[in-house]
Amino acid sequence: MALRGKKVIEFAGLAPAPFAGLVLADSGASVIRVDRPSAKTLDVLCRGKRSVAINSKAHSGRELLKRLISSADVLIDPYRPGVMERLGLGPDVFLGSSGLNQRLVYARIVGFPRTSPYGAMAGHDLNYLAMSGILAMLPGSREKPNFPLNLLADFAGGGMHCATKILLALLERNETNQGQVVDVDMVSGTRYVSASPLIHRSNPATGRFALRRGENLLDGGAPFYNLYVCKDGGLMSLACIEPRFFAVFTEKFLQALPAHFVDSDEWLEFSVHDAHANQKSWNRLKQFLTDGFTLRTRSEWSHIFFGTDACCIPVLTPEEASQEFDMPQIGSSKGKTESCLLNPGQHTKEVLVEEFSLTVSEYESLLKDGVISQC
Amino acid sequence: MALKGIKVIEFAGLAPGPFAGLVLADNGATVIRIDKLSSSSSDVLSRNKRSLAVNPKTSSGLDALKRLITSSDILIDPFRPGVMERLGLGPTVFLGEHGKVGLNSRLIYARIAGFPRNGSHKDMAGHDINYLALSGILSMLPGSHDRPTFPLNLLADFAGGGLLCALGIMLALFQRNVSGCGQVVNVDMVSGVRYVSSYPLIHALNPSTGAFANKRGDNMLDGGAPFYDIYVCKDGACMSVGCLEPQFYKTFLETFTHALPNDFKQRHSWVPDPGAQYDCNTWPKLRTFLQLGFKTLTRDAWTTVFMNTDSCAVPILTPEEASRTHLSGAYEAPLPHPKLSPSEPEDVSPSVKHAKAFLQPGEHTREILREFDFTVDEIQRLIQDAAIEDSNVRSKL
Repeated sequence: MALRGKKVIEFAGLAPAPFAGLVLADSGASVIRVDRPSAKTLDVLCRGKRSVAINSKAHSGRELLKRLISSADVLIDPYRPGVMERLGLGPDVFLGSSGLNQRLVYARIVGFPRTSPYGAMAGHDLNYLAMSGILAMLPGSREKPNFPLNLLADFAGGGMHCATKILLALLERNETNQGQVVDVDMVSGTRYVSASPLIHRSNPATGRFALRRGENLLDGGAPFYNLYVCKDGGLMSLACIEPRFFAVFTEKFLQALPAHFVDSDEWLEFSVHDAHANQKSWNRLKQFLTDGFTLRTRSEWSHIFFGTDACCIPVLTPEEASQEFDMPQIGSSKGKTESCLLNPGQHTKEVLVEEFSLTVSEYESLLKDGVISQC
Repeated sequence: MALKGIKVIEFAGLAPGPFAGLVLADNGATVIRIDKLSSSSSDVLSRNKRSLAVNPKTSSGLDALKRLITSSDILIDPFRPGVMERLGLGPTVFLGEHGKVGLNSRLIYARIAGFPRNGSHKDMAGHDINYLALSGILSMLPGSHDRPTFPLNLLADFAGGGLLCALGIMLALFQRNVSGCGQVVNVDMVSGVRYVSSYPLIHALNPSTGAFANKRGDNMLDGGAPFYDIYVCKDGACMSVGCLEPQFYKTFLETFTHALPNDFKQRHSWVPDPGAQYDCNTWPKLRTFLQLGFKTLTRDAWTTVFMNTDSCAVPILTPEEASRTHLSGAYEAPLPHPKLSPSEPEDVSPSVKHAKAFLQPGEHTREILREFDFTVDEIQRLIQDAAIEDSNVRSKL
């Protein structure tokens, strides 16, 4: 595993930091999540991690943290700007000229850009999506867009970008023997992963996102890039953008429709084949497909298009998908992965005594003072 | 730049391949896009890349490609399983097999497919929305009563495809520093999307956590909670509200109600109770209150109201407004992100500021061939064989 032997200290936080830590853990790194004693957590991205519970408000707790971070390769800081500095654990402490760990890769994830007017404000994924410009392009109702849970800012623009850049910093460290700071903000990260639609939008000559929201090729405007409801309420996804794929789809679709539908007054004169290239016919084509898809169940449509280049694929529920595919992780995924809720402080003793060489009496003293906890 | 000196051969394809190549180029790698002869390209992710147009179905064209790949570090293959093998450019040609040494044992061979390479859909054509469909996550996304909405082609093509491919390449580079060997990086966009969507998928499959236990659209993060949603303002523009935690919700409510006009407060005597935030029985009433309340002021007025507070309420900017608010590169392209300090400059680097938007297929054919030490005679031969285009070379001679 690529990161075997690398030590990561991940300060417990919301979505993006745990996801970055997960990627590193899945790649073989030893990831220690630092929790507050008696914290409660619903973090499900804790596969392969261990937890120590340390009270950073206590002086001896901060000293302990300094000790851990001094021999780590990577630190993940999920806090608002200034928090780590106030704890005496800012980048200068480790990376400065007399720093304690000049090889440390210090990764910081914030929501709003650090130096923007919003830099000190609280926020969540939806807010970062809002500031990025991409939310305004997402399909939805006439009056507002829909947002895809917290996937774009927290995970794509936050955690994934953070993990990728940590790796780049580690690669650079191989040459320079120096650590660095990795600065992630989720507005900029979301913008970067959304580069393609954003560039098209600001260069309307490309035609790709030149129309109003919801009327373009990839945002629900095109009938052949869309979702359709079947007889049983199940859904099919359709993505036959290329004329040759559309031709395959059309042939199979028409074959599967009853004559009374295709030959009805409404549709007899309608040329499905010609509608692909003619944007003026798209509304009619959308109606034709909408009505046609309701005549068979999702399972029937699945079978009809399976093995063809029609780009017509059923929309699976999470349960159905997890029967088809393993819960994925980097590297090989053999069988189902147990999802764990990692209890704060589950490995405090093991990590501090076995790995960081605290003596048993040091450990017991910190435990007694409530600076650490072991669950 | 971390990838300075790293040479990448990116076979031209749709979204995910170019995005992986972009991440590598933005981090200092030299990226050459291999285009087909006489093709046109709608690729907008070509910042600081160069293009060589060659026909791999000619024997001299194939040899030229082998030569380029042999002295490169990374190859990006965006084709369906089997295509590169049929061209004679499969991984074993370079990485070797069964004790047979390949042409470039240090090559990192990155392959991006849509459907899992060994699954039942592997030979089928598809696009982002299809991979989303199979992943299970699409069925969880908010939308209308009978179907979800898909966020363009961001999740499978870019997050689960291109970005994940770049990550895999980094890991392989890292491992190569130790082992001295390249390897195959296999990405398929169904698995990639599932990985990026680990959080909601794990919750959905473990409903006892409660986070995604309800019907689509009725959960905390999919529009079910009125305090995590989008509201239309007086002028039709929108605000985002994301005050999940009690202390932020309290601040939001105080700030919101304080800003409401008096006549609104007179007409609507019901005021939400901050203590009842998580009581979903109160949500319909709360949602109506917020919908009506937000309509009393414009988006910009609300922006000012919530500025510098911990209400988690910020405006939804159009792409134009967002690109004025943030530094952008040439042609308004988002900047590479994240940043490393101290090795990367704070400001926009010149190469990003002055990059060209479009890369014409074959634009750098001659320059690249010369760089790889092809002689004038060899280039002539390639032209004669129709392996490369005369016009790509002529004007430069």
